[in-house]
Amino acid sequence: MDLKIQDVTFAYGEHAVLRGTTFYVPQGSFLGIIGPNGGGKTTLLKLLSRLLLPQGGCILLGGQPLTAFDRKALARSMAVVAQDAAASYQFTVEDVVLMGRAPYLGRFQSETLADYEIVHHALAVTGCSHLRERLITELSGGERQRVMIARALAQQPKVLLLDEPTAHLDIGYQQEILDLLKHLCLSEGLTVVAVLHDLNLAAYYCQELVLVHKGRIHASGHPSRVLTPENLEEVYGIRVLVTPHPVFGTPQISLLPGSRRRQRKKAPPVHIIAGGGSGGELLRDLTEAGYTVTTGVLNVGDSDWEAARALAVPVVAEAPFSGISEERHREHLAMLEQAGAVVLAEIPLGHGNLLNIKAALAAAERGKPVFVLEERGEAERDFTGGEGARLLNAVKARGVVVKEKAGLYRALQEVLDNHFNHPVDEAGRREK
Amino acid sequence: MKSKRRFLTVLVLLAVLAASVIMATAIGAVAIPPGVTLRVIAAQLTGFFDLEGIAANTVSIIWQLRLPRVLLGALVGAALALAGVSFQGLLRNPLADPFTIGVSSGAATGATLAIFLRQFFGLSFPQMVPLFAFAGAFVALFFVYNLAKIGGQVPVVTLLLAGVVVSSFLSAVISLLMVLAGENMQGIFFWLSGGLLLRSWPEIWFVLPYLAAGFLILISYARDLNVLLMGEEAAMSLGVNVEKTKKILLVTSSLVTAAAVSVSGMIGFVGLIIPHAVRIVSGPDHRILLPASALVGAAFLVWADVVARTALAPQEIPVGIITAFVGAPFFIYLLRKKKSEIRL
Repeated sequence: MDLKIQDVTFAYGEHAVLRGTTFYVPQGSFLGIIGPNGGGKTTLLKLLSRLLLPQGGCILLGGQPLTAFDRKALARSMAVVAQDAAASYQFTVEDVVLMGRAPYLGRFQSETLADYEIVHHALAVTGCSHLRERLITELSGGERQRVMIARALAQQPKVLLLDEPTAHLDIGYQQEILDLLKHLCLSEGLTVVAVLHDLNLAAYYCQELVLVHKGRIHASGHPSRVLTPENLEEVYGIRVLVTPHPVFGTPQISLLPGSRRRQRKKAPPVHIIAGGGSGGELLRDLTEAGYTVTTGVLNVGDSDWEAARALAVPVVAEAPFSGISEERHREHLAMLEQAGAVVLAEIPLGHGNLLNIKAALAAAERGKPVFVLEERGEAERDFTGGEGARLLNAVKARGVVVKEKAGLYRALQEVLDNHFNHPVDEAGRREK
Repeated sequence: MKSKRRFLTVLVLLAVLAASVIMATAIGAVAIPPGVTLRVIAAQLTGFFDLEGIAANTVSIIWQLRLPRVLLGALVGAALALAGVSFQGLLRNPLADPFTIGVSSGAATGATLAIFLRQFFGLSFPQMVPLFAFAGAFVALFFVYNLAKIGGQVPVVTLLLAGVVVSSFLSAVISLLMVLAGENMQGIFFWLSGGLLLRSWPEIWFVLPYLAAGFLILISYARDLNVLLMGEEAAMSLGVNVEKTKKILLVTSSLVTAAAVSVSGMIGFVGLIIPHAVRIVSGPDHRILLPASALVGAAFLVWADVVARTALAPQEIPVGIITAFVGAPFFIYLLRKKKSEIRL
């Protein structure tokens, strides 16, 4: 059965929750409802399950208005798995799942063998067979969630609605449950509508997404059309990188540091010499910490160059796959001149980037504090036949070697914040 | 299978109840052997057994005095326990009982008013007290229900609160009537304490139709009560028309309570304790909980009444006092033995 939602509106009292929502769920599809908290997702699901009645518009299930079904008939077509499967009554798992047969039984009928078979099948499909005799109150959150899904399946529905079916579950159970739903959807033509929080899971499993924001559908359709950086920034206020799943090509979301205005530290810039992915985390952490960060010299396309670009960090960039030119080296030295401290990340030393080490040495010789990060302490990272190692040792001799990032950040704080921030503060106080 | 086990349980409890009724009928100021009792009952029911050698007096004691009283006790006990199960399940609250939502207070007020009118205005007609009690119960339910109703729905918490409010208001009315009655308040007091003294066949015929109808309806709603325990929204998506079911169960349980209270006064404890005691053994499934509670409640009240009329004979103790005296320690014993929290 398909679901058609036409211009549905709903308000709790004066507070409008949904203002004109329209979308379509084809039979056998897996549709995810996503969106920020308080945007109307759960309300929408409750309207779909007729726990609430829309104040305007209508919802059609298999072409018929939802209100045309009586409760029992509706329960035979549509099952609901609620968000909090709180169970405080000491029913056995089998009894709970047997309740899924209630819509099929008359008031004076008792369950037949066929009902028990359906229940046992539902338990087997959800991997709950071994829990059959256990009390529902004794189960873990993940087990209980699966039992609730088994109960919904025992209703033999055409449409399954779920409100955050994977909330409170670990990644193993999340995958298990979503795999199961996807399987039911593909193999048995079950129409699945699920409210999901995790955007990556939603992108991976759903054929269609509906992004609900402030009571409206912000975007809908294939995940690649809905999960765009623009949509996510508008709705969640987050900055993300959307890349295709390395194997299946579905969109994947990587977080980028927030765009909210950060408290900028009144400290001179930290300059990071990195490359080949050795500096990404450093760039992110120090930007997050509020420092002005600069970096160079990086080849265009290098992952650290990508990181610098995503973080809007000034960078001296060289053409792809080229050694550092004299011109870039001079630019680099000029940038270093502005820096309050220099961090030399743990980079492999090759002829292409020897000039970067030389630049670090030059900075050290001019009295700049230079920190050499050696987390892994790999013995062989010199590919220059000794020259690189000699230069590095010279830098180490004049600078400070740090073994982990936390130590580096403490040291930077001491060097930059204490020596540069406090005088400013004191000056400020004196002005008052 | 499970339904077979349920059937067996009910059968065993029925046998226990039947034995209790016969033994309770045999016990009294004039001791009559159970065998004789059984013969008299069988003879009266079927007309096959001869009553040779049994004094007419004995037949009359059994058939006119003791048996109707014992049977009425069984009916009232079953009714209160059944209403208790239904209220606890419906309201999903372990403290709910027929007294919680004000129905009993309504019945008590009605009965008090009837006794008051009879004494001071000479107003009197057959079954006046039960009829007034009945009417009082439904007036109270009407007020509680409409107080609790919000936009066509009756939220459980509001219902409980409305019940408590109406109950305390009605208690004040009863107290006022008792003060006004002055020296004659003994009659009201005795009625309020609950008892089966001098009850006979007319009372049984009066309440039987209501109780029978109520039993049938409640037992037919056993599955809905189970599903309701999962929460109202879950129940809706499992095909239960929640508001309608609540209304039906509420009215039916109140009817059963009103019928019981109207003939026996305020017998506390049965409606609260019997469902919990049975649940500890049987679990929360209403398909066994409802019939088992009814049968256990019936047997319990039968024995409580035996104690009430024999312990201080010829003085009669209100049976409500016995139910509390016996019920409370027994329940504590069950609770300690089970060592788990009490839940629905």
